[in-house]
Amino acid sequence: MSGSRVDMKIVLLGKEFGGKTSLVERFLHDRFHGEAPYQATIGAAFGAKRIEVVGKSLILGIWDTAGSERYEAMSRIYYRGAKAAIVCYDMTDSESFARVCFWVKELRNNEENCKIYLCGTKKDLVDENKNNRKVDYHMVTDYADEIRAKVFETSAKTGENIRNLFLKIAEDYTMDPVNKQQQEKDTLNLQEPTKKKRCC
Amino acid sequence: MDGGGSDRSQTPSYDSDVPEPGAGGTVILAPTDSYADLTQGWQGSLHEIRRPRHSSGTISEITNRSKPELAGEKQEREKDGELKDKLNELQVTDDEDLSLTSSDETTASKEDEKEGGQTAAVSSGPSASGLTVIESDSEENVQTEAWRSQRKHIFVLSEAGKPIYSRYGKEDKLVTIMGVMQALVSFLQDGNDSLRCLVAGKHKFVFLNRENLNLVAVAKTEDSYHQLLFQLTYVYNQIISVLTYTQLNKIFKQRRNYDLRRLLTGSEKFIDNLLHLMDHEPSFLLGAVRCLPLPSSTRENIAQSIVQNANVKDLVFAILLANNQLITLVRMKKYFLHPSDLHLIINLVNASESFKAAESWTPICLPKFDASGFLHAYVSYLDPGCQTCLLLLTVDRDMFFTLSECRQKIVDRLNRYNCLTAITEALARTSYSISQVGIADLRHFMYKSKSTAQYTSPELDAPYTTKEEQERLFGLYLYLHHRIHSSARPLKILFHVGANETLLGWMTSGFELYTVFGPLVTKTQAITSINKLLKWIKREEDRLFILNAPTF
Ligand SMILES: Nc1nc2c(ncn2[C@@H]2O[C@H](COP(=O)(O)OP(=O)(O)O)[C@@H](O)[C@H]2O)c(=O)[nH]1
Ligand SMILES: [Mg+2]
Repeated sequence: MSGSRVDMKIVLLGKEFGGKTSLVERFLHDRFHGEAPYQATIGAAFGAKRIEVVGKSLILGIWDTAGSERYEAMSRIYYRGAKAAIVCYDMTDSESFARVCFWVKELRNNEENCKIYLCGTKKDLVDENKNNRKVDYHMVTDYADEIRAKVFETSAKTGENIRNLFLKIAEDYTMDPVNKQQQEKDTLNLQEPTKKKRCC
Repeated sequence: MDGGGSDRSQTPSYDSDVPEPGAGGTVILAPTDSYADLTQGWQGSLHEIRRPRHSSGTISEITNRSKPELAGEKQEREKDGELKDKLNELQVTDDEDLSLTSSDETTASKEDEKEGGQTAAVSSGPSASGLTVIESDSEENVQTEAWRSQRKHIFVLSEAGKPIYSRYGKEDKLVTIMGVMQALVSFLQDGNDSLRCLVAGKHKFVFLNRENLNLVAVAKTEDSYHQLLFQLTYVYNQIISVLTYTQLNKIFKQRRNYDLRRLLTGSEKFIDNLLHLMDHEPSFLLGAVRCLPLPSSTRENIAQSIVQNANVKDLVFAILLANNQLITLVRMKKYFLHPSDLHLIINLVNASESFKAAESWTPICLPKFDASGFLHAYVSYLDPGCQTCLLLLTVDRDMFFTLSECRQKIVDRLNRYNCLTAITEALARTSYSISQVGIADLRHFMYKSKSTAQYTSPELDAPYTTKEEQERLFGLYLYLHHRIHSSARPLKILFHVGANETLLGWMTSGFELYTVFGPLVTKTQAITSINKLLKWIKREEDRLFILNAPTF
């Protein structure tokens, strides 16, 4: 889908192997490749999807980043101008939550208009066996309150909470007065070129 | 029986005024010799595009070590004994930490956690922990056996001796080996004549010392010293490709003891894949690329689709690949892509399944083009079967959506002219078999046009149908290539009668030809045959080579 038609840019950040690509795959194509060997994302992958929310239709442009340290210095390319960031952590890997704090700081410093959504992944593994949980839910919500972010615990395997996450993101975006104005402006801008004379 | 080409009556000749088969009027890739010196100074091409007024255009002045000389192969006698001792230590493969350098605690614990995580997943029962220890213990022994039997080991260490990469086994499980490697490297550096190769039993040890990194190959393969050195240079360039020289240098200037594995996480597979390709694909050895055979009108049409639809500012290269073969390459006027950079791109695509899932946007450094900075690559497969991969390389990091639109237009035009179908069909057909060439007793060949850095080679037919036979054939080519390029006595022509086949290699200013005949062929017959072969290649050149180099 052509990028110029994207209404809202969303970026996924978080440690490599944290489940970002699977989450996007589930949302965009409603599928999960659990048995396939791990395929690290190179740089970042782009995908888009139309979503209906509060009577409006929005096209979400989603950037799924690699998350490896070597791309960190260049991550701005991917999150610049994003209206929402889904900062992922693997609920079964405590270290992945440490990276969340890194990304939150990075976003707060560079992209103040970007709303942050904390997203726990691989919930099915935790549901299967409580001992698999390595990131405490309340610890996350406390942190989320501090940085004024929302928390979602999701599973790409079962699909749990993933559509909700994106619906919430789209809804927050449309309800935000700043974006409403922006959208009106955009519509005006869009109308202008059509007034131009066309050769045929 | 080796012929040095002194016998005039038995020397083939090729009129050097006539362009060699495969040489088009325009150059598509930077021309190379086989040993196109990978270690040459870097040009600052990125810099030039951004600031064309700077005529010098070199970003950083990088002092390179001089090219390896043949003298490097000689060993100093008095060092010999000590070296043997060091080598003997290599036989010891226990995991005892030699601690030549302070071990990095952060990585150690990181690794532990990873391991722990895996173990936990496998054995959750309370009694399992004891078992796990035993298991991992025996696993290590097995690993050691398998490890020792590997034919070509590659190690990368930092200057401070920290393990960065090992082709087989986890580099942090090989502390002893890495320690010995480092001891060897520094030992060898102590002598003013930096020694670069030594032979111990069946093994060749080859060292490449670059700024910040030391690379070591330990091989019991057919590869010559120079060929191994060449491969190490590729590994070095692969690392530069993910980090840039600038970043690598900055990191080690700040912290000599830095654990580079942190930054290379996820890119080990590129090095693994590169090493695998180099052991199987002649393109690296030849410093050339293979083109997907296509009717020239189709190829022309494909190139036009790109030229017309991707004519945007700051786009440097547009590359279309399928199955490690080049379909077309469109470049910005004035800039050339070096074959070794293209090899890294081919390796990137070959090693990454993830490009098949979605359009991607990734930084990539092409060491020959500019080692100091990143280009940005738009990568996307064009067909539903994910065979034809388009890469658009630009200096502008904000161009993704522009390029995404270009891609759509390119696909539309390619479909309009049925080009994607033509590519799929070309891929489904085998390229060509040696029987099509129709020369008795000629079993296989590799032909490289030097001025265009492209090569052609038939499919592997009988007797080279098993893995063992194919590896043996590759070994023959390594041998022929090595003999012809031997820097002590470079040869123009080499006729070699082996146990199972007869080899004839021929170098001219325009091409390199490596041929494999049945064992009974005479030199005169072989020479008649290669003259026929050259005529055949000339006839087929439209299909086998890219003769026109389109530019934006
Ligand atoms: N059980 C389970 N495994 C998951 C889930 N999401 C991802 N994974 C697995 O975790 C690994 C990393 O996932 P990926 O999405 O590629 O991570 P990324 O590097 O953050 O993009 C893969 O092997 C996935 O199959 C999930 O929701 N449940
Ligand atoms: Mg990913």
